[in-house]
This record gives sequence, C-alpha cells and structure tokens, in this order.
Amino acid sequence: MKEELEKNPQSTISSSQVFFIHVCCGLALAAGFWVAHHVYSLNLVFDPTKTLCLIWAIEFPVVILLFSCCRQKPEKCSYFTAIARGLLGLPVGALLNALGALALGAPVGLQYLEKTVNWSLLMSSFTFVPTACVYGSSWTDWRRIFACTKPNGPLEFMLCLPAHGAVIGAWFGAWPMPLDWERPWQVPSPPYNSLCLRIFVFTLSSYVSLSLMSKTGKDFSCYLCSFPCSNFAYLLDILFPFSILRTPFHL
Amino acid sequence: MAPLTCTKLSLITIVGVVTQIIGLSFFVFGFFPVKPTLPSTSGSESFYVPACDFVSNQSDTTLPSDQLKSSYQELSGIPPSFDRLILMIVDGLPAEFVLGKDGKPPNKQFKEAMPYTQSLLASGLAIGYHAKAAPPTVTMPRLKAMVSGAIGGFLDVAFNFNTQAMQDDNLLGQFFKIGWKMVMLGDETWLKLFPGLFKRHDGVSSFYVKDTVQVDQNVSRHLGDELSKDDWDLLILHYLGLDHVGHIGGRNSVLMAPKMKEMDEVVKLIHSSINQSQGNGQGRTLLMIVSDHGMTENGNHGGSTYEETDTLALFIGLRNHVFDYASVINQIDIAPTLALLFGVPIPKNNCGMNFPLYCLECDNAFLICIVLFNFPKMLSLEDSGNLTFTAMQKDKHLRALELNSWQLLRLLQAQLSGLPCRNFPCDAFYDHQSSGSTDCNHETEDMLCCLYMEATTLYTSWKSKRGFESASNKDYSSAAAAYYKFLKSASEWLSRRSTDKPVKLLALGLATMFVSTVILSSLMFCRLREIYHGGKQQSLNLNDSMNGWSLDETFILSVILILVSSMTSSSMVEEEHYIWYFLISTFYILLLRKTAQSLSAVRFQSSFFTQNGQSREGYFRMCFVFLLLTSGRVLRGWHQGGVNWTSLPDISKWLEQAGSQHVKSLQLISAFLVISIGLFALFSIESKGKCFQMVRLSFLISGLLVLLHITKYQDYTFSSTNYGATLLVQIIYAILGVATIGSVVALPWVIPFSTSKICPTDNTISPHFLSIHEKFPLVELRDSLYVIGWAYVLCWCLLQLLLQQPINTTPILLLLLQILAGTLYFARSGTHHKEWVEIAAFYYLGMAGHFALGNTNTLATIDVAGAFIGISSHSTLLSGILMFIITYASPMFILLSLVMYISMKNMAHLVIPEKAGPGDHLMMMLGFSCLVPLVINSILLTAYTVVLLLMQNHLFVWSVFSPKYLYVCATAVCTYIGIFIVAATGFYAYFVLDMRKQKPYSC
Repeated sequence: MKEELEKNPQSTISSSQVFFIHVCCGLALAAGFWVAHHVYSLNLVFDPTKTLCLIWAIEFPVVILLFSCCRQKPEKCSYFTAIARGLLGLPVGALLNALGALALGAPVGLQYLEKTVNWSLLMSSFTFVPTACVYGSSWTDWRRIFACTKPNGPLEFMLCLPAHGAVIGAWFGAWPMPLDWERPWQVPSPPYNSLCLRIFVFTLSSYVSLSLMSKTGKDFSCYLCSFPCSNFAYLLDILFPFSILRTPFHL
Repeated sequence: MAPLTCTKLSLITIVGVVTQIIGLSFFVFGFFPVKPTLPSTSGSESFYVPACDFVSNQSDTTLPSDQLKSSYQELSGIPPSFDRLILMIVDGLPAEFVLGKDGKPPNKQFKEAMPYTQSLLASGLAIGYHAKAAPPTVTMPRLKAMVSGAIGGFLDVAFNFNTQAMQDDNLLGQFFKIGWKMVMLGDETWLKLFPGLFKRHDGVSSFYVKDTVQVDQNVSRHLGDELSKDDWDLLILHYLGLDHVGHIGGRNSVLMAPKMKEMDEVVKLIHSSINQSQGNGQGRTLLMIVSDHGMTENGNHGGSTYEETDTLALFIGLRNHVFDYASVINQIDIAPTLALLFGVPIPKNNCGMNFPLYCLECDNAFLICIVLFNFPKMLSLEDSGNLTFTAMQKDKHLRALELNSWQLLRLLQAQLSGLPCRNFPCDAFYDHQSSGSTDCNHETEDMLCCLYMEATTLYTSWKSKRGFESASNKDYSSAAAAYYKFLKSASEWLSRRSTDKPVKLLALGLATMFVSTVILSSLMFCRLREIYHGGKQQSLNLNDSMNGWSLDETFILSVILILVSSMTSSSMVEEEHYIWYFLISTFYILLLRKTAQSLSAVRFQSSFFTQNGQSREGYFRMCFVFLLLTSGRVLRGWHQGGVNWTSLPDISKWLEQAGSQHVKSLQLISAFLVISIGLFALFSIESKGKCFQMVRLSFLISGLLVLLHITKYQDYTFSSTNYGATLLVQIIYAILGVATIGSVVALPWVIPFSTSKICPTDNTISPHFLSIHEKFPLVELRDSLYVIGWAYVLCWCLLQLLLQQPINTTPILLLLLQILAGTLYFARSGTHHKEWVEIAAFYYLGMAGHFALGNTNTLATIDVAGAFIGISSHSTLLSGILMFIITYASPMFILLSLVMYISMKNMAHLVIPEKAGPGDHLMMMLGFSCLVPLVINSILLTAYTVVLLLMQNHLFVWSVFSPKYLYVCATAVCTYIGIFIVAATGFYAYFVLDMRKQKPYSC
C-alpha cells in the first residue's frame, strides 16, 4: 500500500477531506429531503417525480463542486475542466442508469418518462458524476473502479463504495414485491418508490459509515470494514420495511 | 475417491432420476388423495337417526322403484314440491352476466341480451344465486360437485380429459333408483359420468373449442320434441357454446351477446312450455339454470379467482316469493337442495349445507323460499305478522333440517374417528350439560358435536311442545337457528378440511426425493471437483476466474435460494414471473460487467499482443449481451401475466386493441424471420451430402407449409375446424417428424470424415485434443450434433408457430434470438464462465421464457384451444401431448437447444486426464448439460414439496400452492424428457461415429 502511495502522490487524500466531502454530500441529501418535505410537502411515495427532481437538483451541484476539488493531475486539468467533465458525465451516466432500470423492468412509456429521467439523473449524480469529475474519461481508471471493483487508495474507495452502494441499493429497491398488502409503494411495475427509498437508506448508511471510518481510523482497510457496516444498515432496512419506509423521510 | 467413469456417471444419474420419479409419485398420491368417501348409496336409512353400529338395512334396494319412491316419501315426511326437473347447464356462464355484481345490475349489453330471463327475475318468478364453485373450475369436477354435493379431489382436473363413470352416491343415481326417466342433451361428459342412466341422449363433444354454433344447435334441435313429451322426469340440457365463445374471444367477445340471446330464447321456450303443461295438469316442473364455472376476462377457467368461481344457480317455476334473499350460496348446496325438493335421500358424501333454498308450500298458492342467511329476517317478518307458518310447515322445515344434519353427521362420523358424539345414539349418558352452554368454541370435534346436540335437544323439546301454541314459536326459531349453525359449521369444515394424509407415504416420498437430490448434487459436485480442482497445475495458465469463486457463480447459486424462499409466499407464487424476469436481467447485467472487464483487459494488453481479432470478439460479445437484454425486456413486456395485475397494459393487449391485421402481419413477419434464421443456419453448412440436402429440403417445405397455414387458416376469431386445415397440419406434423428423426438417425452415419469444420466455433484445438483426435472423431461428433441441434431447434420452432396463439409468435422469435445470442456468447467467451454456470443460466432463461409466453401458475392460462389443432378425431392422449408442447414450449426449447450448445462450446480448456478413454470425452461434453438441469430441477422440486407440506393448512393451499405444484411436477417431467433427448442424441451419435471410426471400410 505504502509503495503505491509513494508512486501516486496525487491519489492521496487526507481523512479530514474525505470526511468533509461525505458530510457535505450527506447534508445535501438531507437538505433535499428536508426541502421536499417541509417546503413543498412532497414525498417519494405520493409524488416521486417532483421529489426526485428536487433532490437531484440540490445534490448534484454539491457533488460536482466537491469532487472536482479532488481531480487527478490537477496540474493538467483545471477546476473548471473538472466541473465540465462532471456536467458532461451527468447525462451520460443518466442514460446508462436509465437503460439499466429499463432492463430490470422499469415501465416504458411517455407517462413514465419524467420519473425515469429524474431517477436516473439522481442515480447518475451518485455513481457517475464523482468519478467523471475526478478521472474524466480515463477508461483504465473506470475499468479498475467499476468493472473490476479493485480500487486502491482512499480516493478510489471514496468513489467506488458509495457508487456501488447506490447501485446495489437500487437493485434491492427494484426487487419485485408483488404482495397484496395494498400499499401504494408496492405496485409491481414502477419500482421507483420502494427503489428510491432504499437507495437512500443504502447510500446514507454508506456515507455515514464512511465518514465515521475516515474520521476514526486512518488505515484504508477501514474502508473495507465500513462496507459491511452499510450492509448491516441495509439489513435493518429489510427487517423493518415498514418503519424504514414509512418513517425516516416523513419525520 | 476414484474418478468417475462415463458408465458410472450415467448409471448413478439414472438411479437418481428414477428415485426421484418414485418419490414424486409417492408424494403426489399421498398429497392429492381421492377423499375418503363413503361407499354405497344412501337409502331409506338416511331418514332415521344415524345408527350406532353402521349396519344399514339394505332391504330397500330390492324394492321396485315405485314402492321405493312412496316409501321415501312416507319416511321423509316431506312431500316433494315438484314432479319434474329440467336442469339447464350453460357451460362457463358467470353469474355476473345475469345477476350483476355487488348489488349492481349486470352490464347493459348482457342485460339486454337476456330480456326474458331478466323479466322473470324482476317479476319474482325466478330466483338467482351466485353459486360459489370450488377450484379447480373445470367442467367435470364441477358437474360431479353439483350432483353429489361432494368436493372432489384435486387431481380430478387431471382426469378431466379422461372422464370415468361416477361411482359415488349422487342425485342422478338416486333419481334412477326411484324410477325416474332421464333424458340428456349436450356435453357428452354426462354420458361418460353416468353411462346407461339416460333413456334418450344426444351427446356433443366439448373438444372442438372453435365451434360455437353447431354445438348448441345439436342440443336445441331436440328441444321442441322433448318438451312435448311427458315420458321423462329429468331433462338435462348442457350448452357448451358459451364456454367456447369465451375460450375464443374472452368475456367481451362479439359473439357473447348473441350467444346469451340464444340461451334466453331457450329459457323462454322451456318456461312457456312449463306453463302450458302445468295448465294441462301434467305436474309441476322446476326449471333450474346453472353454470358449472365462470370465466376470466380472457375466457379461460380452472383457477380460483372470483371471475371463475362465480357461477349461476337460477330457479324458475316458483310462483312467488315474498322477500329478498341472500344471493350467495355454494355450488355444492345444489345437490342437497334438489334431493330434498324431490324427496330422495341426500347423497352420502354431500358436504353442502343443504338449505340454501327450501320451499315451503303455503296453501299451494305461492312458495316461500327460506334462505339460510336470511333466516333471521324471515323470523322478523313472521313476528311482524307479514308471514305466518302453520305448525305443519314448521314441522316440515325442521324435519328437513334434521335429515340434513343426520346426513352430515354420518359423513363427519366417517371422517372424524375422534368425534365425541360418534356413538351418541347409543351412549345415552353423553354429557347433556355441555349442550346447554351457548359457547361451543372448543376443538373442532367438540364444537361440531356440541352444536349438533344443542340442535337436537331444541328440536326434541319443540316436538314435545308442538301442541301448545304458546312457547312453540320461540322454540321453533331457536331450534331452526341451532340447526343452521350446526349445518353451516359442519359444511364449512367438511368442504375446507384438508383430508387426512397418509403421513408415512408423504414422508417416504419426501425422503426419497431428498435422497435423489443428494445423489444428483453430490454427483455434480464430484464432477466439478474433478474438472476444476483435479488438474490445478494445468489450469494455472488459464484465466484466474476459473479457479476463484466469481460473482456470476454466486449469483446463479443464490437464484435457487431466492426462488425457494420466495415460493413460500402465496403472492410470490401468483406473481412468480416478476422474480424470474428480475433475476435473469440481473444475470445479463452481470454478463455485461464481465464483458466490460475483459474488453478493457484486451485494450490494456493490446499494445503487447496486438490481437485485433480478440478485441473484436469482445465487442461481439457485448452485442450479444445487449441483444439478450433487449429481447429479454421485450419478452417481459409481452404478457402482463400473474393473477393480481393482469389488467395492467402490456404489448399483447396493445396489439390486440390495435387490430387483428396488425397481429396478423406481425405474426407473419416473426414466423418468416424464425424460419429464415433456421434455414439460413442449415444452408450455411458447407457440406453437400445427399442427406444434408434432404434435411434442408424437408425443413424448407415444412416452413413454407407453416407459412401457408398461418396465412390461410389461422384466423382466430371464427371457427376453422375444416378438413383442409386439419389435413395441412397433419402433413406438417408428418414432415417435421420424419425430418427430425431422420436427421438424428442418419446424420452420424453419413457425416463425412473430413478436415473441414461445419460447426462455427473458435475451437483452437489444444495439444491435448490432437492426441485424442486420432482415436476419437471429436470434430465429426460436434458437426453432427450441431446439425442435429439445429434440426431440433427448427422443428420445435415450427411446431410452436403452428400451435401457439398468433400473439405468441413474436415471443417465439425473441426466444430463438435469446438462445442464439446466449449460445454464441458462451461459445465465444471460452473460459470466462464455468460451463455449469452457463447451463444453469440457460435453464433460468427457459423458465423466464415460460412466463413470457403468457403462462402463469394458475391452471387457467393453459391454452386449451391450441390442443386440438390438427387432430381429426378426439383423442385425449394426443390433445394432452399438444397441450404439453404448447405450455412447456420455452423450457423444452432451451433443453433441446443444449444439443446445439454442446456442439459449439469450446471445450479446449477442460483438463483431460492423461489416460482418457473416449467415454471420458463424451462425459466431458454431455456431463454438465445433463446434470445441471436435473440438479436445479430436483432442488426446486424437493424444496417446493417441503413448502407444500408446510402450507397444507394455508387458506390458499388448493387455489395457489397445489396448481403451482402441478406445474412444478410438469416442469420436472419436461426436464426429464429434454435431458433424455439430449443424452440419447449424444450417446447415439457418439457410438455410431465410434463404430465408423473403428471400421472405416464400412463407410
């Protein structure tokens, strides 16, 4: 590990920075929910489109601005270039996320288009935008982080874990739940409602655990430890679907 | 542990499969028993208190029929209210069409279609009920339930096409015994159920589902004649047309209203004839119109939804009735009601609560119908003076209730050996104190007993006080209420109860299945260890994913766990397709990720190796995965499927709304594409042997004939039972059969031993292979398997194009594309996936396709109409086979295409032992293809058996879990057949080629 660090001095990032970025992103997410719920009195179950729109509109500038600070090779790439890369990454990532959602069974149709677009923009700002800001279009880095999941260094962990958390959370959220409990969130074809709630639980937990880890321990293996923690948080989500689904975002 | 040889492997596999079949049959016969029914028929003993020693007096059976009739009348104490009965059965008519739903009148279009019936209902001359049928809602079990009052065993569905004479006690037998003359017109199921009982009959076959006109004309043509005669007592009319209309076009078919109008005309004709004959003093006639089952929106039936179980029971011939009635009864209630109305003993195995409708005669002027649920209302009417009963009527009423309770008590005694009041009539010291208490909420046995005792005590006390006017009224009502309470709980218990299952048989079956699963799984585990760990040193040079436990393997294994755990929820069983679609598309996404990994790896290394060909490979594989994803998504959207959300939009509904010409053109395009893909593959083989030409030619001809059939005959709104269509289809069957079997048998004999490859694989033969190649014709085996595989695939596709509904043609094309894309992807991916992962993925793909073709876990979606294509005479076996082919199109397709997969898969990476015999080689090729589906299937089968056992007291055990179990069993059969075909083809081709190789001069 140390040798690698010496080789790639750019990729080091102090734990306070990691903590700061995570806390800011988490706060932006919480702020999005707060605004949606208290200012516009929206929630994900009954008006997913507008809520999602509001959340990504608040979340993604924060993500772009923060992650552009951590750009690779800062001597070659200015801050504004990084921001531009992030802006470009947003629609591209949204397209890929939307395709993934469609493949997993999201409904096709004009009436669902808005929902899908907003959802995939939000997903993109969790998954694509940070990496796009940091690495641009470097295929080797993308492949290492996403296709092979072999991140090294705190920066890559910081990019890799929340993105995977969001994707896995979304995948669990899209889990078919055709139960006849007559709840509005479990109608089978549009998986958005449950899906979105679950993504947030998952990403939030991964953010929180990451932030905690980066504050307390300085060893990078702690990042690995944090992953089971977020899994554990997700387990709670499965165990208490009602409490989790109905309460945390309605408080 | 000694390495497995080919013979050993195949022998153990066969043993495992045979064990499994034996265990499965043990379990099935244990779990779906024929209910313990009471033998013999009710006689005059049913008019006495249940005897304690069960010695029934058989003397009355020897009485001549007219004496028996009068003796029954005398004993029962209830004179029959009617003399003759006309039972008109309208197959598949939902009560909703006539009576409406939830208190609302029926649909305007349907209401207008039956003006006469509606006027009868409005004027009170007819009473209509929603009679709730028990699943399975298929004709034969429902007819049995109506005439015997018993709920048949679940497996009656399986025998629906193989009707056998009814042995149990039933109404028709009772009528026959008292000398009734019976006439039957309509569905010949009646003739098979009751052979020799009818004086005259004209049976029509229910097998030509596409005929909606002739089938009913054949019934109605005798009607005028029969109605003018007075030599019958029971006339059964069974009209099938409405059910056929439903099967063809669903509830909203354009033919529905005219058909209902036709039925209405029949009702009008019969009713006016009844009125006439009543005027002439020919006796009172009751007309009863019933339907055996309802239909879903698409016109299918068999399941347990409201639409299917909502059947009609309409009584016409009552002159008046005074108050409204509770309109929901059970279908089994019809039998006891009719028995009491006509003064015959109630059939022995009846579970019905015999009093949905009992008619008391008030001065012969009008009839009052006392209906169970409205009994309190009747009493209140009486209290208010609107209605008065004479002591005589009350006596009759209570007597009828008593007869009814005796019959049910007898049945309870037979089914519950621990019934405390079992010997009640003998054991006079039974604790009477408990009957005084009003809370009878103990165990089932005690509760039923307690209720019965209470009712009897009250009735006795009423009888003793009959003379005195004062207390009589209150006693009467409490006695009747007590009887109703007993009848209701006894009937519910009897009809719902899960029968005593032979625990030992079930345990034995389950254990045997478990053992076979263990055998098969351990066999596969051994193979895995031999292949992937036995030669670790050789495989070091291979991709490291071969030895590690990669994501896709974990996923494939977890799919089984997910499936098993989701099957414990009834909703997940009903909506099983969601889980399959979700898992299979997740698997495709994992494939995409894997491809992306290797793709970038190639890029990364390209500077060192500059292998452009390999990087192109990566892009090809990417394209295949995208093809898999998109076609999978379209397949998912094709049919909404399931039970609860069938009304959501899907592509098939959208196309059908767009118009039949769009469906037709899409069908033609898809069929053309399927045929041309298959033919392209066959024609792109470079060999020019005579045999190849024959194969090509015959498939070309049959493809053209299928196209001809589609354009000319496959018109799905109106009937096409004409001779030409049937002949054409039979010709296609013959050509396909001869071509496929011919190519399987002949190809290994005629395939040239040459260096040119037919099979388009990127088979880079390793040094290992070269040495083996000399003694073993590997390339030839692959080539012949490749052609045979294509012959199987093409034959199956053409069959499906012929048999499936027009709307399902495009899914067939998409399935073919998926199989091709999957096979090509796996063939090109070489060592990236383990072989068992690929085969398991194929198996899952087949199951997802099964649901994409519109199948569900209810029996209602089985396509009955398709099962008679090309069959000129009625044959249960052939129709059953066709139905199986249609329903299991997709899993069978996958299994057959495994032959092609085997031939294309690159086996070069497999580690072959130094002293490998040729048998080992065959095992290497066939081993996993046969083992993996068998293992997955046996795990699912065993797990689902456990689930069914756990759920045996669940509310939905008969409506959700048991149909699903039948599907699971049929899937098992499908897997056995498919694997047998694959294995047999492989072995045959191998042995023939081996023989030719050893004796080269014989070629």
